Amino acid sequence: MVPDWKVVQDYLEILEFPELKGIIFMQTACQTVQHQRGRRQYNKLRNLLKDARHDCVLFANEFQQHCYLPRERGESMEKWQTRSIYNAAVWYYHHCQDRMPIVMVTEDEEAIQQYGSETEGVFVISFKNYLDNFWPDLKAAHELCDSILQSRRERENESQESHGKEYAEHLPLEVLEAGIKSGRYIQGILNVNKHRAQMEAFVRLQGASCKDSGLVSDILIHGMKARNRSIHGDVVVVELLSKNEWKGRTAALCENDSDDKALGDPPSEPMPTGRVVGILQKNWRDYVVTFPSKGEVQSQGKNAQKILVTPWDYRIPKIRISTQQAEALQDFRVVVRIDSWESTSVYPNGHFVRVLGRIGDLEGEIATILVENSISVVPFSEAQIVLQKNWTSLHCHQERMCEMPVNTPGNPWKVSPEEERERKDLRETHLVFSIDPKGCEDVDDTLSVRTLANGNLELGVHIADVTHFVPPNSYIDIEARTRATTYYLADRRYDMLPSVLSADLCSLLGGVHRYAVSVIWELDKTSYEIKKVWYGRTIIRSAYKLFYEAAQELLDGNFHAVDDIPEFRDLDERSRQAKLEELVWAIGKLTDIARHIRAKRDRCGALELEGVEIRVQLDEKKNIHDLIPKQPLEVHETVAECMILANHWVAKKIWESFPHQALLRQHPPPHQEFFSELRECAKAKGFFIDTRSNKTLADSLDNANDPNDPIVNRLLRSMATQAMSNALYFSTGSCAEEEFHHYGLALDKYTHFTSPIRRYSDIVVHRLLMAAISKDKKMEIKDNLFSNKDLEELCRHINNRNRAAQHSQKQSTELFQCMYFKDKDPENEERCISDGVIYSIRTNGVLVFIPRFGIKGAAYLRNKDGLVISCGSDSRSEWKPGSLHRFQDRITSTTTGGESVTFHLFDHVTVRISVQASRCHSDTIRLEIISNKPYLRPDTELLHQSSLLLKSDLVKEVTRTVEEAQLAQEVKVNVIQEDYQKYCQTKGRSLYTLLEEIRDLALLDVSNSYEM
Amino acid sequence: MAGLELLSDQGYRVDGRRAGELRKIQARMGVFAQADGSAYIEQGNTKALAVVYGPHEIRGSRARALPDRALVNCQYSSATFSTGERKRRPHGDRKSCEMGLQLRQTFEAAILTQLHPRSQIDIYVQVLQADGGTYAACVNAATLAVLDAGIPMRDFVCACSAGFVDSTALADLSHVEEAAGGPQLALALLPASGQIALLEMDARLHEDHLEQVLEAAAQAARDVHTLLDHVVRQHVCEASVLLGD
Repeated sequence: MVPDWKVVQDYLEILEFPELKGIIFMQTACQTVQHQRGRRQYNKLRNLLKDARHDCVLFANEFQQHCYLPRERGESMEKWQTRSIYNAAVWYYHHCQDRMPIVMVTEDEEAIQQYGSETEGVFVISFKNYLDNFWPDLKAAHELCDSILQSRRERENESQESHGKEYAEHLPLEVLEAGIKSGRYIQGILNVNKHRAQMEAFVRLQGASCKDSGLVSDILIHGMKARNRSIHGDVVVVELLSKNEWKGRTAALCENDSDDKALGDPPSEPMPTGRVVGILQKNWRDYVVTFPSKGEVQSQGKNAQKILVTPWDYRIPKIRISTQQAEALQDFRVVVRIDSWESTSVYPNGHFVRVLGRIGDLEGEIATILVENSISVVPFSEAQIVLQKNWTSLHCHQERMCEMPVNTPGNPWKVSPEEERERKDLRETHLVFSIDPKGCEDVDDTLSVRTLANGNLELGVHIADVTHFVPPNSYIDIEARTRATTYYLADRRYDMLPSVLSADLCSLLGGVHRYAVSVIWELDKTSYEIKKVWYGRTIIRSAYKLFYEAAQELLDGNFHAVDDIPEFRDLDERSRQAKLEELVWAIGKLTDIARHIRAKRDRCGALELEGVEIRVQLDEKKNIHDLIPKQPLEVHETVAECMILANHWVAKKIWESFPHQALLRQHPPPHQEFFSELRECAKAKGFFIDTRSNKTLADSLDNANDPNDPIVNRLLRSMATQAMSNALYFSTGSCAEEEFHHYGLALDKYTHFTSPIRRYSDIVVHRLLMAAISKDKKMEIKDNLFSNKDLEELCRHINNRNRAAQHSQKQSTELFQCMYFKDKDPENEERCISDGVIYSIRTNGVLVFIPRFGIKGAAYLRNKDGLVISCGSDSRSEWKPGSLHRFQDRITSTTTGGESVTFHLFDHVTVRISVQASRCHSDTIRLEIISNKPYLRPDTELLHQSSLLLKSDLVKEVTRTVEEAQLAQEVKVNVIQEDYQKYCQTKGRSLYTLLEEIRDLALLDVSNSYEM
Repeated sequence: MAGLELLSDQGYRVDGRRAGELRKIQARMGVFAQADGSAYIEQGNTKALAVVYGPHEIRGSRARALPDRALVNCQYSSATFSTGERKRRPHGDRKSCEMGLQLRQTFEAAILTQLHPRSQIDIYVQVLQADGGTYAACVNAATLAVLDAGIPMRDFVCACSAGFVDSTALADLSHVEEAAGGPQLALALLPASGQIALLEMDARLHEDHLEQVLEAAAQAARDVHTLLDHVVRQHVCEASVLLGD
């Protein structure tokens, strides 16, 4: 199929369907897109071409001797382009020896008539016609096509009747660029305030303009008018307003129901304010929206075809779409895309793409979270894996990588003899073992330690050799690159690699032969100084698959745990004793080494912020949830230290070999002003936090410990984490060497090497390391590595995906929290009342952290009617008329009757948790202070029990209720069945329900946690 | 409008060449009868005409004469219609002075000047159309003209430009590629010995990439040499046929 330039321009979205394959894009068409539609669409086209799954090619027809046609005198550009494309299609047809019929798709009626029957075998038809004939079953494509057509028609109509303008026109690009250069305008990324989406948005400055203008803080954009049609995430150009027009940001808590009129609070001090004059890059993506309910539709009246839908994300304005299906789609979450936003219209125009699921349904809501974070996780189909097989056998020149491996009981996977020759064999010589959380399937990393003949120690870190199974640019590789990471939601995970690799062949399970990539150090026997380091491919056999608790028991000399280790079960007493001693020695030595390495780094002044990397990497919620280990086990630290060491040395190695195209990880030092809140909070409690360097910060955080209240320290730490910027991947070619520094770990170079099953960055690092090794051996580098520019793009992609993974994890946790509390009656249920700690003060309320559930939320001290809280002698709270006074570290509520109550930072209060349901958005947790005294539970035994209510329990409970609901539905089915029997109908349980049930069972597998 | 893509994902440049490919080169020697040597060259759309007089006695002030070798005098000029904007370029403006100096340095390195002490060799180059790589075209044209004049040289002087885009070196830049503003390097090479007669670059380029760009330019210069050699041989053939009559 050859699309015309016009088709490429308008229907690219449909061409992106994975079902449509074998498209030949002509250079002429691509260049038109580049010139007329701008970089964004052109990049989409480029990605489409790069993606091997689509089987699309670009044919440079204008550079081909027989295809090039000079433009004739008086011929219009469009005509010439169509003619060139047709000519190239004909040539292509003859080039394939007239065997492959070619379809040229165009929207130009004249061209269809003119060329339609000119050459046999080359068909010229319209796009609509093409879809009807070739893809009659592809419903989604048809719908999309219709909605594109409709929105286009409307746009045409609208442009004709253009009337009063709602927004100022955007300035042309040249003016913007000149303005940015001269400093008149400022470039940045628009960030809409989630809580006051109508009024407040901020522009975070980008790059050079930051230094020139001397502005430190962000720029406030006040109101929709000033925002001028830009949407959250766009790269915009801003003009600063004069100082007397500057406004302050609101510090009051408020809800989204645009009730800001109720708050007459004086805003805080004015900050730089501006207005958007142009958009450099639009960042529109797919949005999840909800249609208005029936009543609202009618009120919209005459214009029934155009409907305003509300996006799930508060930060996105309402979108106007035209559809006839509004009524049918009322109770569903729906995906739409924005097409345009004319200056004459208040809202942007969009079109409907697809349906996700019912509102309030667990699956639908999870799908919503995935779409909102642009995560697409189609399950790995059998076909994809088979395709991989075909593809590799067709294209792969290296025989040994030829097939996607299989591992079934009948046909077990074996170590191949060639690999045995090339790899260093550690199976007999080394005691290798892994330490992971309980129930972990994908074991990336194993450790080994032994004494060498000369008395020195040898420490080894062995990482699963994923790159052996995933050749570059194979189907699996491309899929993994798009996913970039394994996504962990509260109740499930979406793997980056298919499970045959992630849970089996790559996973370094106990007792089986596996390929690995190893880093092995030789350490001095007493000082543990690193003497030598070796990198390379190996074969290992992990002897033990331990979990953290058991390893800690062994380390402590507690041998009860031995019975839990399956490897010891079948041994007789003597060999068991010998093996146990060997293992205990290894773990002990390892811990000793880790302690030394760490102490040495401490002494060098390189201090480490405890666990920062972990927190930033994952959701810091997870740590707060995790109530059991207050101090993590020492084994955790030992393993982490070894991994950090391996990562650090690999980073050094690949940077030395490829100074311009190595993938490293940096953690930029934080801005001091972000720490001000932390410092103030600490001051309220009488602590001093020194934030000048990472060392002083870590020291003062260690000191800021209230013996009576351990939560204070945890809150302070999490605030410190929030103040820091995230660690990022980057390509060494695009950064100066000083910027490589990792602030959190205090290392000059760092990368991710140790989890290739779960992170794509590690796969890239593995390939780099392999290339570095072959470079050292003066061998030719087989894989072609990413150039700096490609790597930079890849890093940006991985960083984005990681952020999406974090967000989706957080949002899914919130979803489960809401579902948990939704069924409970807040007035009666004991569980809905809990102890909370105040950690921030606002003008009309406080922010409260509930340690038991790990929830952070806002509690109002003034309600919507203007009444304030007051606490009687029994410390029960009531709403009364009065006023609020906010101070630095406390807030006082005084009623008209003269009673007053004061809340300090870090005060413990009793809160009631309830859920505020919302149709268009996600449900939110509401907190209400019901007493200013700490909450005392009725009996202490219960306290002990329920304080262990972990996230996983919460998740289980929610999944259970979902299942119960499903069971209830099945009962209904039974009733209907009786009816069927009555009317002599037979109907078994459909396969669908059966599959659904199995899927729900799979959801119960939540025990898998994420350690690094 | 999106920025111009100098090197597409498929590895094509704007005009359809690959990274190391030259533009089409066509050349003729002996285009003027009254000059001692002359040549005309087309490199893509860049067209240059070179004329050589000499060696002859020093004209003008005798004081300029060098006791041990010949004086090489180069003059560069470009036609008013040679570039996109039609602009009158007075004789002796900065650009042509600089170009003249560069040509002089190049040819002092190539011509065996010590064979003609106290005499002078004039090289005049005119660019008729400038579409990138003017210096290279001038050197190549002048080489042919010097050969046509029968002045003894160490070797051909072959020149070519090279640029650097998306971590790939591009040989023989066209005007569009030059105008994009990337680093650009001009190299004049004595191909047989591999010696460099002139190397010029006035943009920032990381030293790690220099070797790559230099190699691309040198390879292109060697390609130019093959082509020029062919032109010279053909010219000699034609000339001998004429003489034989």
